[in-house]
Amino acid sequence: MSEVIVITSGKGGVGKTTTTANVGAGLAQLNKKVVLIDTDIGLRNLDVVMGLENRIVYNLVDVVEGNCRIKQALIKDKKYPNLCLLPSAQTRDKSSVNPEQMKKLVDELREEYDYILLDCPAGIEQGFQNAIAAADRALVVTTPEVSAIRDADRIIGLLEANEINKTHLLVNRLRMDMVKRGDMMSIEDVHEILAIDLIGAVPDDEQIVISTNQGEPLVGSDSLAGQAYMNICHRLLGEEVPLLDLENKNGVWSKFVGLFKKN
Amino acid sequence: MSQPVILKSNPHGINLILDKTLPFAELKREILKKFKESDRFFRNAKIGLSFEGRQLTPEEEYDILELISQNTSIEIVCIIDKDELKDAFYAAKIKEFEENRAGKTGEFYKGTLRSGQVVECETSLIVLGDVNPGARIIAKGNIVVLGSLKGNAYAGAAGDETCFVAALDMDPVQIKIGSVIGRSADKGPLLAIKNRKKTMEPQIAVVMEDAILIEPIIKGLFKK
Repeated sequence: MSEVIVITSGKGGVGKTTTTANVGAGLAQLNKKVVLIDTDIGLRNLDVVMGLENRIVYNLVDVVEGNCRIKQALIKDKKYPNLCLLPSAQTRDKSSVNPEQMKKLVDELREEYDYILLDCPAGIEQGFQNAIAAADRALVVTTPEVSAIRDADRIIGLLEANEINKTHLLVNRLRMDMVKRGDMMSIEDVHEILAIDLIGAVPDDEQIVISTNQGEPLVGSDSLAGQAYMNICHRLLGEEVPLLDLENKNGVWSKFVGLFKKN
Repeated sequence: MSQPVILKSNPHGINLILDKTLPFAELKREILKKFKESDRFFRNAKIGLSFEGRQLTPEEEYDILELISQNTSIEIVCIIDKDELKDAFYAAKIKEFEENRAGKTGEFYKGTLRSGQVVECETSLIVLGDVNPGARIIAKGNIVVLGSLKGNAYAGAAGDETCFVAALDMDPVQIKIGSVIGRSADKGPLLAIKNRKKTMEPQIAVVMEDAILIEPIIKGLFKK
């Protein structure tokens, strides 16, 4: 049984693309056949984050318009042979594709892949409608900021209206030091406001920036964010994994070690 | 009025707009003049006629009809009643009925309203769920939220300021009752979240001296 998951947030810049890349790579590490679809037509960047930009020949719009077969447009990942990317078109816009075409495309991919991840554009317009049209379930990404949470709330409402009822929350870029000082909302605060099941929290980790710049997802590495993303993948597969203790590495000991590292 | 008699066509015939002050005999002359002028245009037409601008007795109406049928080739099929007083009377009755209905009957909405969602209702509204920031509920009657009211609520949307808004957990962005608006205190959004009440306290908002008054619902509140 294949599953189609849309990664969405409403607000831009909260980490949809990073999440798609890392969850996709994580599921591939767990021996699932995974395809990532970048639905952000005109502003593609999943290929950049995956480090696959130089391999693009055909794209999503080419497939939909029948300029090529799906197989020709799919790009195999550098590291994981069972992970593929269907890149978005950069020179077109969201109106080049409609929800019915997305459904048809995804249905074709269902036969061969265990997981189909749709990287949704920011906003609630056509791009969003395209991305959610074919989805079985949704990951709503938010950061612990009021604006992101307000948008996430709107998105959850829209997902419900479109009868996507399996919706999970991912709290991204959490800074435990700020939460402790009371300057940032905690996971519990966010969870209480949005009132949907939490699938995981990812700390604000500079390793993410480094991995994005290198074009290699960090999932599965021993960085805190890498572990958090791996846990999320396990939970997507239905396993029970306790929430990662995010404070662990920001404790006194790590700061102490950090001091030495800097010198 | 510059012209004592005006002819105005409508989908069913013509409106005869008459001067209020002119003596009836003179008015009749003016009407005749007007119809004679346009007789060629109306030749053998079958029309409905309605009177405007002046209250006519049945006799006067009859007089005018006689005048037209004797002097022109127009055939008047019927008289369309257009009575502003009656209209206003009916409108007032309908409004009164709707207002009564708004306060006395209600609708239920089950589920949480998220940002961007709007529920509108002709009567009173009871929400079984939360109303999140960015969501709006609008009712012509009262509003009761069996959950947290954290968004916007507008009761008495037809203008009735005796309506109320009640919630098990009252933390709205804005409440409007009739034409009176109350808004939440100015505090940063993070503080609002951090300082939110841990326990629920049912509260009710009413209009008192042109302001929204919110008070806790405690035993004996409604005995006053």
